[in-house]
Formats: sequence, structure tokens, C-alpha cells
Amino acid sequence: MTTSVSTGTPKRSAGQASLAPAHRRPKGWLWRWCKEVGWKHLFALVFIVYCILPLLYVLSASVNPRGTLTGSNQLFQSVTGEHYSRLMQTGFPRWMAHSLYVSTATAVGTVLMAAAAAYAFSRFRFKGRRGGLTFLLIIQMFPQMLAFVAIFLLLLSLKDVFPQIGLGQHLGLIAVYLGGALGANTFLMYGFFNTIPKEIDEAAKIDGASHAQIFWGIIMRLVSPILAVVGLLSFVGTYGEFILARVVLQHQDQYTLAVGLYVWASDERNAPWSLFAAGAVLAAIPVILLFMFLQKYIVSGLTAGGVKG
Amino acid sequence: MRKSLIALAAGLTVALTACGGGTTGTSSTEPSQSTDPSASQSEAPAASGSLTLWADETRIEAFKQLGEAFAEESGVTLDVVQKPTGDIAKDFIAQAPTGQGPDLIVTAHDGLGQLVENGVIANIDFASKADKFNPVAVQAVTLDGKVWGMPYAMENIGLVRNNKLVQDTPGTFDELIAQGKAVEGAEYPILIQQGEAGDAYHLYPVQTSFGAPVFKTENGEYIAELGMAGDEGVKFAEYLQKLGKDKILSADLGGDQAKQAFLDGKSPYMITGPWWTTEFKDAGMDISVLPVPSAGGQPSAPFVGVQVAYVSAHSKNALAANQFMDFLASKDAQDKLYELGGRAPALLESAASLDDPLIKGFDEAGKDGQPMPVLPQMTAVWEFWGNTEVQIINGQSADAKAAWSAMNDNIKAKF
Amino acid sequence: MNKQASVETPPLSHARDLTRPGFYVKLVLMALVNAFGLYGIFASWAQEQWGILGFLVVTLIIADYVYFSKRAIPAKYLFPGLVFLAVYQLYVMGMTGWVAFTNYGDGHNDTKKAAITQILATSEVEGDVSYPLTVVERDGELGFAVVQDGQPLFGTADEPLAPLDGATVDGDKVTAVDGATVLQLNDIVQRQDAVLQLRVPMSDEPEDGSLRTRNGSTATQSLPALHYDEAADTLTNTEGVVYKADDKVGNYVAENGDVLKPGWRVGVGLDNFKYLFTDSRVSGYFLGSLGWTFAFAILSVLTTFALGLVLAVIFNDPRVKGRVVYRALFILPYAFPGFLAALVWKGMLNRQFGFINQTLLGGAEIGWLTDGNLAKLSILMVNLWLGFPYMFLICTGALQAIPAELTEAGIMDGAGPIKRFFNVTLPMLMVSVAPLLIASFAFNFNNFSLIYMLTGGGPNYPGAPFTVGETDILISMVYAISFESQKQYGLASALSILIFVVVGIISWLGFRQTRKLEEIM
Repeated sequence: MTTSVSTGTPKRSAGQASLAPAHRRPKGWLWRWCKEVGWKHLFALVFIVYCILPLLYVLSASVNPRGTLTGSNQLFQSVTGEHYSRLMQTGFPRWMAHSLYVSTATAVGTVLMAAAAAYAFSRFRFKGRRGGLTFLLIIQMFPQMLAFVAIFLLLLSLKDVFPQIGLGQHLGLIAVYLGGALGANTFLMYGFFNTIPKEIDEAAKIDGASHAQIFWGIIMRLVSPILAVVGLLSFVGTYGEFILARVVLQHQDQYTLAVGLYVWASDERNAPWSLFAAGAVLAAIPVILLFMFLQKYIVSGLTAGGVKG
Repeated sequence: MRKSLIALAAGLTVALTACGGGTTGTSSTEPSQSTDPSASQSEAPAASGSLTLWADETRIEAFKQLGEAFAEESGVTLDVVQKPTGDIAKDFIAQAPTGQGPDLIVTAHDGLGQLVENGVIANIDFASKADKFNPVAVQAVTLDGKVWGMPYAMENIGLVRNNKLVQDTPGTFDELIAQGKAVEGAEYPILIQQGEAGDAYHLYPVQTSFGAPVFKTENGEYIAELGMAGDEGVKFAEYLQKLGKDKILSADLGGDQAKQAFLDGKSPYMITGPWWTTEFKDAGMDISVLPVPSAGGQPSAPFVGVQVAYVSAHSKNALAANQFMDFLASKDAQDKLYELGGRAPALLESAASLDDPLIKGFDEAGKDGQPMPVLPQMTAVWEFWGNTEVQIINGQSADAKAAWSAMNDNIKAKF
Repeated sequence: MNKQASVETPPLSHARDLTRPGFYVKLVLMALVNAFGLYGIFASWAQEQWGILGFLVVTLIIADYVYFSKRAIPAKYLFPGLVFLAVYQLYVMGMTGWVAFTNYGDGHNDTKKAAITQILATSEVEGDVSYPLTVVERDGELGFAVVQDGQPLFGTADEPLAPLDGATVDGDKVTAVDGATVLQLNDIVQRQDAVLQLRVPMSDEPEDGSLRTRNGSTATQSLPALHYDEAADTLTNTEGVVYKADDKVGNYVAENGDVLKPGWRVGVGLDNFKYLFTDSRVSGYFLGSLGWTFAFAILSVLTTFALGLVLAVIFNDPRVKGRVVYRALFILPYAFPGFLAALVWKGMLNRQFGFINQTLLGGAEIGWLTDGNLAKLSILMVNLWLGFPYMFLICTGALQAIPAELTEAGIMDGAGPIKRFFNVTLPMLMVSVAPLLIASFAFNFNNFSLIYMLTGGGPNYPGAPFTVGETDILISMVYAISFESQKQYGLASALSILIFVVVGIISWLGFRQTRKLEEIM
């Protein structure tokens, strides 16, 4: 679709872009706008429908007095806020708080550790560098079929030594998640770090900056888009994770949101689908807010940095 | 030497906890045994300490309340932990050997074979109580001649009728379908939930009416020999095929869809259990519960599921756990669980005072019922059974007889 | 460790320059790390957790070396992540590797010692006799006092039940004994191990069995049905049948093949690995699924990447008003917990009741999940929905790294947007994104939860010797084989290791290609 629209007139549109006179006739301006920008809106609308249709369905189920996940096909045929107020009386608010805590801590830890590792891989040449990078990525591909047994046993032993990061502790869960901090994240950052000219480091070195100062003071600022991306990816990944979380957090008082919702959904006979749907709708809000907040960092990074550099 | 090290370690712990801002009291997974003398100074009437019990979302509220009653009586607190239904047995089997599992679990009885095979539950004293319980419930918790858990409630499926659409029910399944088809405005003559993986449980009353129980029985106990491998089984398979062709049964109709269709008045009948009748009544429906009419000439016999509490073989407070089992066998406890859970009590004395017509209806529908088998061989049956049925229903297996005998061969190969 | 790096480093590292605040930050951090490590070392010593102790000692030494040495600069940046990786990922791998060589699973769940304890504990047959019980301590020895036909009886582990003098009886229960202490429930609870293990013989005849208690208030007759001979490592029942320990299969087995439950874990060598190759019926389905697994993983990566990239490029255009909102909407599928999305899609794709057929297609009966090919298509569509926001995010992020001058240079050359995209943008992007595509491939190769939640592998093949369907990928088939009926952790581990070898090799080859990409740039 994209290709067909723009292939038609690539040359002309490029030419017009650079020569666009301000006093074009309105009709021509509109035509050009449609051709270069307008169709993008159309495109966006098509995919927004694809994106939000299932979510509208969930939203509709969450306000339907008898919502289920199948069979209630007339969207918004009746609306009630009842499930949302009932939700507040369950453990949901607490689960949400736990999720925010665990996901935020994991995201921050992941960003710091992955950025540090990416810096090492990008800026230093050492033996086993290339192999190390590959190793990091491949090790993450190991099937986690037995992870629930292994993590349980590990945290059980850790509990004797470090009760704070043992079984049944949110810190323990965060530590488990941080075990996956390297890997794909490092790779993503590594690629981005490489695009930052080495001359910037070298100039700083000549001014007497240490490697730590270069890292914290210069590089970390220049790579803020990718920090924001990795932070968001890690936050979202943690936020929706329930397989390990339900092994580590054994008690419903400690559940995170994903575990709580999973437990609701796994009731084979009396799953509270409407509560579940309402919970899912509310669960999405922090992620959206976080993305809105991070968006400006994600898309504004290097331009600003480039000017400074 | 060791002592001073421990002291040093303790000192460091204090320092570290102070630094860490204190990870406050999430101590629910702490071991709960009261071997520590300082723990015993409470003013509880008799014993003290606490027990951890795992229950799923449908049972957790009832057991929380029961736990309070037990604490009053015995001084032992019951920490009820919620676990997803499907995870209870799996997690318990994995965790019990570490000594960190719960002292008690509450589940349906059909996982008994697996729990025994893995050696994670202890048998209980039952001889003095056996004749106070419903024999089906006792059969359900008995394996290799021993009793492994305390039954407290029983449930089975039956025929739920929407009295607004029809008022009398014929004696055979075929007549029932004909009647259902004649009901104006009803999309389905009868609703039997299936889903893409099939649902042998909900079809079992139909299957048994052909005289094809899953296992043969000897002296009232299942033996590891298939009862559905003969001609009776094939007849049932062919009947299934017919129901599939006539669109009476459909793989698209999962539990949620069937429930919704019944709620919407799209069918006069539904084969289901007591778990949804509250919802039907809350929606203002007038319903009755009846035995499932016979399709093959013999009485229909649904599986009876028994709710059971088990004691962990690795419990560090086995004494209190067994006291809880005794408590659970009392009329007060069974009455309370009936009141909170809405299932027929396993204790005859409590069951005698059943007053809910719907529960009575299910009881009647299950009078020929047998407990769901707990033989280890049953896992092999579950693996193929529903799948084969749904393939016959949706026409994927064109030859019902061949599909049915392939299923039996596959099951036998796993014995 | 790295000559080049140390040559490049300035003469003063911040760690040594006392005028820089960084030095003090580092000092404080390292003090904390050392305190934490030392505490752990002492605590694990006290708890006799030797594995943790060893790990902590080694890690602490490396940590101090890394951060206080002038060399090893890359290690300073890699170390924290590697520690977490070692603890939480390598441990899981090691555990899986170990389990793959055992028969760990249903029936072989614990150690031999635990199995013997459990076999003996559950072998006792409950007799018909039961009494209200009083637990008594006399001369430092625990005993049971009961009332039989009005006559108080007392016995200990060594002395069979015998009439008891000086007992106060209330109804059917002894309430006090002269010269001995009656244990209250509270005391019993505290000494429960001893009380629960106590067996008081009913008489001199072993056939009469003994009294035991489970709850501290009732004594029941108990008849042991098995005798354990430690020297011969055999269990013998009352009929004289001898069960011998078979350490090859992890069970006590009788001559006639009868087995006592439970068994225990034993090493089984390569048996789990051989399973795939010995059962031809299984390996046939495995090969069949291999093709679909590749198709699924590759197509998933291509579709999600293509859509994510196209959206990222289009909405990287500052002239598009409202793109802040658009972007947020594109992220929406990602904001929902994944398993929920799969459940919702499953409902929407239901043939008869689903939203897609009923509402969007006006009551069509298309078997989105029940027809083999359509089910595959549905899986890809749902995975596209789930996965493109990720690609959109990383592409949007990576696009920021492409200097505007390059694109402008393209414009100056008169290259059109398509040509610019393929000649400038895409190659630049691939440098940072290509490894992630490989990672995404590997992730989808093992994307068990999507398949499990959406189709459960179905539609299933009729008559297959285990539950396997047309949409099963390798890892979901492993699940079907080793978890669906019996839990066989050993087999599951071995099969997942085999899968890992396949994915690992393919990915490794892929990385070698991306290295070339990087060199071009």
C-alpha cells in the first residue's frame, strides 16, 4: 500500500519538497498535502482499527453487565460502571501498585545494566567481545520450560541466605527479571551506541575525561532515545509477565497484576470475565501513560545531541 | 567459631535491612511450624501455630471462613492461599518435597492418583468415619485400599431445564431433541458444551447410557481395563457422529458460549453442573434440574466429582493438619461448606438436611453416577478421549468406528 | 585483558582522582557490595548453603578486582549484568541440563530416602480399633494411655499396652496419671515429631499391630504391611513378597514386576534424548512440525518487522499532525498483557459465536481456528497484532540514530523517497536491528504461550499417538508429549535442549551474517 502510493511520483514529490513555493494555489497545496501527508493519516486510521478492535471488544465487555469474552458481539449494547467499582474492592489496586513497583525497578535496572554492557561492547576492544555478544543473545534463546522448577529451588535456597531476595519477595522477583537484562537489550543499545561518532569520546578524553565521565556525562545523554525504548520494552515485558511471577510470589497479597488477572482467567468455570476485562482496561493505562511520557525522548534524541556534539 | 559468625551475620543483617529501607512483613511464606518454644506462648485454647492451605478461587472464601471457625476451636490459624485451579496439583507436587509446600491442599478428587504416585500426600485415619460418608465420596478418596483425603462436597452434572420454554421432559434423549427442536425461538434443542479440545466429561451421561463406562468395575472399584472399547462404545461414537451431523453438538460451543446461549433463552435444556445455577437464578430464570434422559437405553450416569482436602506428606505440622481433617469431617464444618459453596455435602448427616431443590435435582441426576476414576491410567484416557469425540462431532474423523477404536488403541498403548 | 583499551584510557581513572566525586560514589557503592557479600558469606556458612557460599566468595573477589584494578575496564561495565545472568539464567540452564539426564517427573519426584520414608509411612494399614488418647510422659519417656472396657491401659515404644495403676479416668479417657505428666495439646504440638512417630505395641504379638496417633487425641490401631531391610535394600510385605531397589529405574520392584509407589529420581543417561529417535511415530510428527515452526517464526518476524518499520518510517515525519496520538494508539496492543490478548482473539475468532464471523462478516461460519490452514493464518495475524508494536518501537528508536545529513544527502542526489529508504535508511537501520530480528526469530521459534492459548496446537491430527495438531510448533509439541498426561520433566528438558541446539545454531549462523553488515557500515 505504501509503495504503490508513493512510487507513482517519487521524483516530483522530492523536487517539490525542496522547491515548494509558499504561494501555491490552495488546490495544488491540498493535492500535495494529500500525497505527502494526507495518505499517512488514512494509513494510520486503517491500522488503528486493527489495533483497537480487540481492545474495544474488551472495553465493551468491561462495561457490559454480563460481559464474557465470546458471544457478547454487540459492542456497548448496555453500559455500567459496576465492574470498575467492584474491581476496586478486590486485590486489584494492590496488585497494580506491586506491578508498578516491580516493573519500574526492573526497567531502571535493565536500562542501566544493558547500557553499561553496550558501552563496553561498543567502545572497548577486548578478547571475546564478538563472541560475548553472540553468547548473550543465544543464551536468551534457551527454552524456559523448566524455569519454574529451577527458579523455585534457587529462590528457596537464597531465602536462607538473603531473605530479602528470596522466595515470596518482590525484590527477589526483580532480581530474577534482571537476570534477563542483557541479551536483546544490549544488542539494541549496542547498535545505537555504534552510531554515535567515536570522535566525541576522543575529544572528551583529550579534555581529560575518564571513561566513567564519558559514559555518564556524554554517551548516556546522547543515547536517550534508546534508553527510553529499552526502558519501555523492559517495563512492558515485566508488567505482563506471570509465569515466573506466580512461582516467586506465592501469596495473593503479593501478586502482581498479571498474576492476579491470570488467576482470574484460569478459573475454568466461573471466571469473572467482566472484572477481568475491566482489570485489563485499567492495566493498559500505565503503559500508555508511560509511552506518552517517553515519546518525546524516543523521537528527539540524536537531533538534539547532534547539535551539541 | 560458628556461633560468632552467626552473630556477625545477624549484625550485618540488621545493618542491611536498615539500609534497604526495610522490606516489610511479607512473611506469609515463612515456615509456619511452631517448633520454636517462643511461638507457643499464645493464649489459644489448645494448640497453636498455623497451617497453610492452598485452594482455588472458587473455594477460597469458604475456606477462609472455615479457617476462622477452626482457629476458634483449636487455636491453630489457617493461612488460606489462593492458587489457580490447574496449578494446585502441579505446584504442590513440585514444591512439597522441598518442605516449603503447604500443609493442606483442597482440590477435586480426580488428581489423587498423581498425588499418590508422587508420594506428596499422607493417608488419613478414616475407618471410624467411613460409614458416615456417602459411599461414592469414600470410593473417590480411596486408592490401593487406603483413604487419602477428607471428602467434603460432591458435584455432578445434570439436565438443567428452562421452565419458561418447556415444562415436561420426555424419557429418551431422542425425544428430548425432537421436543427441543419444536420449541419456538430456540436455536438449540439442547446445549452441551464442547470447545475445540472436546469435553468428554459433559458427554459422559450420554456415553454411559450406551453401557460404555470408561473403565470396568470390580466390587465397586474401577480396574484398569477399558469399558468403552467394545461395541457399546462404537454405538455411542456413531450416535455422536449423528448428533454432530444434525448440528446438535458443535465444537464451537465452549462453556462460556453455552452458558450465554442458555441465559439468553436460546435453548430449553443444558447439560451442566451446579456451578452456573446461581447465575441462572440471578438472571431471573426459572429452572429445574433433572437426570439426563437415556440415549442408549441404559441409565445415564455422570461422573461424580468429590471435593477433597489432603494433608501434605511433608507437613511440619502434621498433627494440626490432621486435627483440621477431623474438624472438616464434622457436621458443623460440612454444613458451613454447603452453605458457602452450594454443593451437596459428602457427610450423610449434613446431606440429609439438603433443602435446595436444585442441589437435590443434581443429587438425583447423579444417583447412578460413579466417581471420576483416579487410576493413573486415567491421564492417558483424558489425553485422547475428548479430542477423538470432537473429531467425530465436527466430521474430521469420517469413520466414527475407526476413530473410536484408534482412540482405544492409543490409550491402551499408554497403560 | 585489553591492551588497546588501556592504551586509550587517560592516565587518571576517576577511581584514583580524589578530587572527583565519582571516586567517593564508587567507594560507597563498593563498601555496600562488600558488606552485602560478606553478610551473605557468613549467612550461607551458618545455613550450610555451600553452593551459595562458594559463588559469593568467587564473585566478591572478582568484583573487588574488577573495580579496584586499573585494567579490565570493559569488565567494569559488564560485571553487574553478568552476575545476574549467571545467577538467574545459567542456573536455569544448568538445572535443565541436569534434569535432562534423569527420570525426574511423575512417580520419580524426590530422593530415594524420601521415597522409602513415604512408602513406609503409607504402608501402615489402619485397623478397626480406635481409642480416645492421652499422651503421657513417664520417666522422660513418651507413652500412650487409653481406656479399654473401663480399664486404663498404658504402653510405650518398648512396653506393650498393659493395665495402668493410679490413673484417673473420666468416661473413656485418662485424665491424670500418678507420677507422670499428661501432655496437653499444646505440648503435643511442640513434640509432634516424637508423638507422631511413636508406635505402642498392642500386645506381645506383632500381628496385633500397634497404636499410633495422627491428631494427638485419637489412637488408632496400625498394622505395618511392609518391612524395610536396610542392609539388603529391600522391602518385604506381610505375604513375603520382596521388593528390591532398582536404582536403574528408581523403584522398588518385585519379582513379578509389581512396583511400589512412589519411586525416586535416578540418572537415566541419554534415554531422554534417544526417545525422539527411537519412536518412529513420534519423530514423524516432529519432522512435520519442524516445517511449520520455521514458517511461523520467519513469517512472524517478517510481518511484524515490515509493519512496524513502515509505520515507524511514515510517522517519523514531523509534518503529520497528531502523530503523538497515533503512536500511542499503535502501542496499545502492546500495553495489554499478552495472554489476555490471546484469550480475547480466541473468543473473537470462534467460528459460530466470534465477533469476526458474527459481526464483521455478517454471520459467516469460517473456521478461523478449526481449519488447519486458516488456523495457521490466524496465528500469524494475531502474532502480527501482538508483535508489531515492539518492532514499531525499536524502529522508531533506531531511526533517531540515522543522521539527518545522510537523508538530506540522498535528497540532494535526487533520490526518491523509496530509493532513499532502501539505499540509506534501511541499511543503517539493519545494523542495529538485525540482531534483534534474529532474537525475535528465536523467541517465536519457542513462542509456546501464543500457540497454547490460541489454538492449543489444534486442529489435532486424528489418531495420533499423542495429542498433536497442525498448528503445534516444536516447543508446544514437547509440552504435549511430556506434560499433557504425565509430567516428565526429564524428557521435557532433553527435548527442549535439542530444540535449543537447533535454534542456537541457526541464530549463530545468522549473527555471522549480521557481522558482515556491520563491517560494511
